[in-house]
Amino acid sequence: MTSARRPSAGPAGESWRRFAPAGAAALALALAVLCGLRLDAAGRSGAAAAPILFPRVALLRPALLGFESLAADYWWLRTVQYFGDRMEREERFPQLYQLVDMTVSLDPHFLDAYRYGGLFLVIAKQFPQAIQIYTRGIARRPEDWQLPHDLGRLYFLELQDSAQALRWWTIADRLPGRPHYLPRFIARLTAETGALETALELWHEMAETSDNPWVRQNARREIARILDTLRRGARGGGLRR
Amino acid sequence: MSGVWAIALMAFTEAVRDRVLYSILFFALAMIGSSAVLTTLSVGGEGRIVKDLGLFCITLFGLFIAVFVGIRLLSREIERRTILLLLSRPVGRAALLVGKFVGILLTLTVNVAAMGLGLLCLARILEGAWAPRLLVAVGFSLLELSVLTAFAILFAVFSTPTLSAAFTVTIFVIGRLSRDLMAFASQFDSRSLQAAASAVYYLLPDLSRFTLGGLVANDLPLSGSALVLTAVYGTAYTAAVLLLAVAIFRQRDFQ
Repeated sequence: MTSARRPSAGPAGESWRRFAPAGAAALALALAVLCGLRLDAAGRSGAAAAPILFPRVALLRPALLGFESLAADYWWLRTVQYFGDRMEREERFPQLYQLVDMTVSLDPHFLDAYRYGGLFLVIAKQFPQAIQIYTRGIARRPEDWQLPHDLGRLYFLELQDSAQALRWWTIADRLPGRPHYLPRFIARLTAETGALETALELWHEMAETSDNPWVRQNARREIARILDTLRRGARGGGLRR
Repeated sequence: MSGVWAIALMAFTEAVRDRVLYSILFFALAMIGSSAVLTTLSVGGEGRIVKDLGLFCITLFGLFIAVFVGIRLLSREIERRTILLLLSRPVGRAALLVGKFVGILLTLTVNVAAMGLGLLCLARILEGAWAPRLLVAVGFSLLELSVLTAFAILFAVFSTPTLSAAFTVTIFVIGRLSRDLMAFASQFDSRSLQAAASAVYYLLPDLSRFTLGGLVANDLPLSGSALVLTAVYGTAYTAAVLLLAVAIFRQRDFQ
């Protein structure tokens, strides 16, 4: 006749039976972590990182169940990481526009994505793409002064197109909350004087007012560059914008 | 009316004793809090990341509460036959069902308020200013959850807890996608197909009407009249589903 009760294994056997599964679980987990670390190390030592694959927004949208804004945040974080990572390694930015485009396609009202996305593209010297992002943003958010202001800055600082800069700053000047210095810039551009002072003031404003340390650092670098140009220009006996 | 309130309070007390509720609330608050860490990875848009993720958590974990706690409250009574005890008292079936609904809604309100308050404080810390419009978005999330709770009760009346949960989650997915039906309808050549697709769209709940997260996160204006109409839409839809549940519940034989 068999007994339903287990045979007694003594106190040592009891404690072994109690802790053996937990110990085995810890060992298995440690093994999994080790394998993961080895796999990651192998991946890092391999070829360059794989290019980012972009889903089509039209196909992605239904799967998001109305959380497009959150998905846009995710793509924005990827954009920032992509830009920062490549900036650090001094690499080119072949997928930067696609990343910014993906973000603003998912949430066409994402003001900061237009602003900083445009700025990243400017730094990457992708000016036509930056213009495209800014103008898309202006069409979507016509009441915000920031985008025509930034587009004017791109024309003025990078493309040296005072006529276009004047056009966009005049638009920004009509919008509520625009910065105090805009009328002064417009006056200078209309009179075609003080281009370098305007550039310096623009970067100073960015360095002082931006709430982002990275943007402030970039602005300070530009200020140093302009001041250097000014010094060299003074030594050379002339000024050139 | 007093019967409804007594059952609602009983359901609320029962729900707050449920450990599942606290696990859900803990995870929700932990996720909302962790969004602050995510903002350190961003350049710009820090405030909106917290708001978007917070509102997502409120909807998702609110849905879990409606499904896991809400359905269990009614199904347990039916499975354990304690419903017979309740029905032997001078309480109508309609009052019993409405009482259960109010109790679950009360539980959801307390939890959503806790999550909303946590989110509001976090947004205040990150942005340096209060964002009262966030409360409007949280309020409309609660309205969406009230529609889903009514559906959870409807399914729990005639189905098993597992199937009821699956049906309620399906309604959430359908409700979030129902607007696409209108887009599909415009693609049809046939007028009758267009009309049929439109009819199905208007009969199904359009839960995307309650999502104000995008507007709040982007500081876009909220239309007062649209908000009032959405509130009326949500209340009317909840009432319709609840009344349908009452109609089925009245026909059900528990012997």
